Amino acid sequence: MARISVFVDVQREEERLLIDAARRLGHELEVINVMHSVNWIDSRPPGEELGVSFVRCISQSRALAVASYLHYSGVPTVNNPEVLWKAGDKLITLTLLSKRGIRVPETAVAYSRTDAIRAAERLGYPVVIKPIHGSWGRYVMKAHDPDSLDDILDLKETVANPTFKIHLIQRYIEKPGRDIRAFYLWGEVPVAIYRVSESWKTNTARGARAVPAKLDNEVVEVAVKAGDFIGGGVLGIDLMEDREGEVYVSEVNGIIEFRNTVRVTNYDLPAEMIERSIKELRR
Amino acid sequence: MVKLICPLCSSTVEIPDDALDGELFEHDACGAQVEVYVEEGKKKLRLAEGISEDWGE
Ligand SMILES: Nc1ncnc2c1ncn2[C@@H]1O[C@H](COP(=O)(O)OP(=O)(O)OP(=O)(O)O)[C@@H](O)[C@H]1O
Ligand SMILES: [Zn+2]
Repeated sequence: MARISVFVDVQREEERLLIDAARRLGHELEVINVMHSVNWIDSRPPGEELGVSFVRCISQSRALAVASYLHYSGVPTVNNPEVLWKAGDKLITLTLLSKRGIRVPETAVAYSRTDAIRAAERLGYPVVIKPIHGSWGRYVMKAHDPDSLDDILDLKETVANPTFKIHLIQRYIEKPGRDIRAFYLWGEVPVAIYRVSESWKTNTARGARAVPAKLDNEVVEVAVKAGDFIGGGVLGIDLMEDREGEVYVSEVNGIIEFRNTVRVTNYDLPAEMIERSIKELRR
Repeated sequence: MVKLICPLCSSTVEIPDDALDGELFEHDACGAQVEVYVEEGKKKLRLAEGISEDWGE
């Protein structure tokens, strides 16, 4: 038995599954709603009683804040803030992975409209344009020609958030109607799903269907490396296959959603997540 | 009251019978802002848009 804490804001099905698993495993559990608590920055330790802490805020900014507070106060945190920071930023993720030899979709970072259009010309249409932050496929768009790219850039100029004016322009990968979500737990990839969709965006949050995926050697190897390079912990690695069967890492998720995976694979991901994290982090 | 499934936490939410298309509710169990919409004459729920640019995985 161990002490664990789960930090939440709103609670998805994942948080309930995680809390249920902790109880089932007999751990001493505390659930902390960060919306109704204050973290004091002072010399007192935040308390031995927290044990291994799982940061599960749905807001990525809050998750990073909570993880930073905990980690830099000496609390073992899943995931640690550096991992959340790297995974939460596609520019960092893609750069880190590509420099270390992992295949990622060819991507340019453009800071102006003109350069975004130039980069697209070099890649060839269609191109995918996405912000450096974001999830569930929001603001991920596909432009088939310079006109539609121009319209998209127009729209982005009207968004107040300045990070939306940093454009990732990416080669469009012809996927076989699905992508792969591999779950990385502390150096291993025990389970993966295909996300099958009619739409070119295969986010389950947008209605893609989850199907158990076979753990292909190449996929596992690439996903394990990607997870290690981001800094380990508990991660969701998104991979795409192209027509030739080449595998690309598209992004890494730092606070995984897994309800559909649990449902279709029966793999007890929340329990594994807890047990493996305790094994790694308990001092 | 109509019982619907919360799109965020998948547990039940009770929505008044006279809830309007587009009406917003807060689901007490999980804190989600949900929006009622009507499809093929049936009330359904989705996450309210625009409140959460940084939500997700
Ligand atoms: N270069 C690409 N070529 C083809 N499809 C792509 C490309 N980039 C993204 N997609 C599709 O769009 C979807 C959303 O893109 P991406 O994963 O980058 O965004 P996201 O908002 O971080 O999504 P999430 O974190 O929920 O997986 C992906 O699941 C994938 O199906
Ligand atoms: Zn709910």
